[in-house]
Amino acid sequence: MIDFAQNTLDGVMAGSSYALLALGFTLIFGVMRRLNLSFGPSIMVGAYLGTFLYVQYGAPSLVVALVAVAGAALAGIYVERLCFAPMAAGAGVASMVSSFAIWMQLEQAAILILPRHTYAFPPLSTAAPLALGPLLVRPDHLIVLACTAVLTAAISVLIYRTRYGLGLRAIINDTVAAHLVGVDVKKSLIVAFALASAIGGVAGYLVLAVDQQVTPMFGMWATIKGLIAMMIGGLGSIPGAVVGGLVLGIVEMHSQWHFGPQIRDLVAYGLLFACLVLRPGGLFGAPPAGETMIEK
Amino acid sequence: MDDYLVSVLSNIGVISFLALSAYLLLLTGEISFGQQAFFAIGAYAAGIATALWGWPLAAGLLLGALAAAAAAVLVGLPTLRLRGLYFAIATLAFAEAVRILLELFHYQAMVDGEPVGPTGADGFRGIRYIFESDVSPFQFMLVIWAILAATLVGFFLLGRSRLGVVLRMIGEDRVLAALQGVAVARCKVLAAALAGAVAGLGGGLFAHMTTYIEPRMFDIMLGVHALAYGIIGGLGTALGPLLGVLIDIGLLESVRWFAAYRMIVFGGLVALLLIVRPRGLLDEKAVHYIRQAGKKIVRTAAARLSISDRTTG
Amino acid sequence: MIVHRSVRLFTAAAIAVLIGASPAGAQTRAKADIACKPTEKSLQYDCTIRLLDARTGEPLSGVDIMVGADMPSMPMAHNVRPVRATAGQALGTYAAKIELEMYGEWMLRLDLSGRLRDRVLKTLHFESNEVRDGRSGRSSPRPGH
Repeated sequence: MIDFAQNTLDGVMAGSSYALLALGFTLIFGVMRRLNLSFGPSIMVGAYLGTFLYVQYGAPSLVVALVAVAGAALAGIYVERLCFAPMAAGAGVASMVSSFAIWMQLEQAAILILPRHTYAFPPLSTAAPLALGPLLVRPDHLIVLACTAVLTAAISVLIYRTRYGLGLRAIINDTVAAHLVGVDVKKSLIVAFALASAIGGVAGYLVLAVDQQVTPMFGMWATIKGLIAMMIGGLGSIPGAVVGGLVLGIVEMHSQWHFGPQIRDLVAYGLLFACLVLRPGGLFGAPPAGETMIEK
Repeated sequence: MDDYLVSVLSNIGVISFLALSAYLLLLTGEISFGQQAFFAIGAYAAGIATALWGWPLAAGLLLGALAAAAAAVLVGLPTLRLRGLYFAIATLAFAEAVRILLELFHYQAMVDGEPVGPTGADGFRGIRYIFESDVSPFQFMLVIWAILAATLVGFFLLGRSRLGVVLRMIGEDRVLAALQGVAVARCKVLAAALAGAVAGLGGGLFAHMTTYIEPRMFDIMLGVHALAYGIIGGLGTALGPLLGVLIDIGLLESVRWFAAYRMIVFGGLVALLLIVRPRGLLDEKAVHYIRQAGKKIVRTAAARLSISDRTTG
Repeated sequence: MIVHRSVRLFTAAAIAVLIGASPAGAQTRAKADIACKPTEKSLQYDCTIRLLDARTGEPLSGVDIMVGADMPSMPMAHNVRPVRATAGQALGTYAAKIELEMYGEWMLRLDLSGRLRDRVLKTLHFESNEVRDGRSGRSSPRPGH
């Protein structure tokens, strides 16, 4: 029973970083209706820049965090300009493949900065785990959880309570109409992309700081986990991203504890497949009515 | 022929099967991130057939293709309703699940006093058909390209057949296709099975070319590459995916001197290319122009011939 | 016609391979001890190979060895141009200098020809300062989680 509770708690902690990744992913997808495969690698570029400063010059954690977030945002803008902005409506597949090509590019760039396989990453907190009754909580996990809560709330306010958010929602509804009523579509999209990638950058920083190491596999990992959490929760939905991330984290933690890492991944993909087949809209999204990435 | 050239050409041939498999689904309007799963299933099935059961290569390849097609039908049925991104992610989930299942898959038999067969994540070594039957790498390359040529002929025949037209029609607008009396569901499952078989065939060849396989080889990277080849090379003809493979593997192999930067250059070039040609180099328009130009050349040549006939006759 | 004949030859060769000649029976199989260490130049490694008969354990000399390398995570893209190994002084020993494209796990592939035809594989993890035995198992993107 205590094991069950501890696993669930650990799952929530792991899931909160998935939720953050899904939040960034879903923001891009919600606005563009296109899949950005370079999402993870953009985060990786920021993280590698931060790690470079840490390894070479011993930069403090705060600087590493800022560079990781800013680097991810810049990489996100680059991806938007190259893979999404120039593509005509109806070229959703081309955008996706293009973002995959840029994935390869960003990953190689990151490896050029730091060629070894593993590098140390500055820890978030090395304080001893806190006792919560019979359960243990790592302080750095609590920081991740708090960051996720704050960022989710901030994004919700931005989308639903500000003029910028109104414009963004207008674009989602009808890009041409939004343009006609005076929304600066181009600028809004760039900002949305930068913002989404920055959220991803925060998630990336937190995950790596908890792990205290970084490898070139990180870009792919971030894309895949964000994608799964987003799809489970429902495309383009903020609460969906959070719930999807938490569900994924909890399910993974339990299956890992009982059956090991391979079955954990198998269960995660099985859950994703089942969600898609049984409830294609995800837990929170509306069922896809003719929803398609290849817009006509 | 240089050994290295043989290995590069064999690689190009083998991965073309995977690219053609993804291309076939693209024609029906579906993006699959999961064709590498059928490639893997074909590789394991064909490898087991020749290495453990002592089957001849042709029978092993056939088994690989059939097993992959059967798996494709099994995934095709529940994912029929899904479209676009949903379908893409469902195929990704399936393919990753297959990869993990292969990591758990153990099946060994004693061959020549040594245990041979898949041992989970450590992979499947000792698919020694080419050594035991004394097939040289060059001969095996010929086999790969002979089967690829036959597959391409199949694709061209498909393109001219009613089924080919119907598949493209479903890709354009499946509601319209259904209204025209097309059995959309049946055609899509059929397309999935064909695509699975093509990937499985390539997988079988791959297993015998490398003589060892392991689950890690069949991860999402391979699948997304296969998908990208069709879109880079062009969706207008079955030669498009081949062109994509040729550009990626062939060109990259020839520019080794900037190895460390090649993904940076190549990734950027692909992104720029897709801005200009979102449906690839050999898109429908390009194929149409090339056909017209070809017809014109034939026509003028024929005209000249008949003129010279008249003047001489 | 020449084209016709080459197509026919091509098909005949393909069919012969596909149907399969009967296996030549049990042949000599090789196994190898491979050790690599980094050189002064980054991404370049000196590898020494000790080639043995897998059954008898006797050293195998006079074999032509081409040393290649693949990254298991991308089987057909990152492959290094194979180099020929040179025979060492002791019986069955060979040396080769390989140059990789990046650090990480690589599958070394020894293609043997001449006295016997075989392929020996070895997974190694290459870093800038050391080479260790590759964990031929699954590479989790993130250890720990």
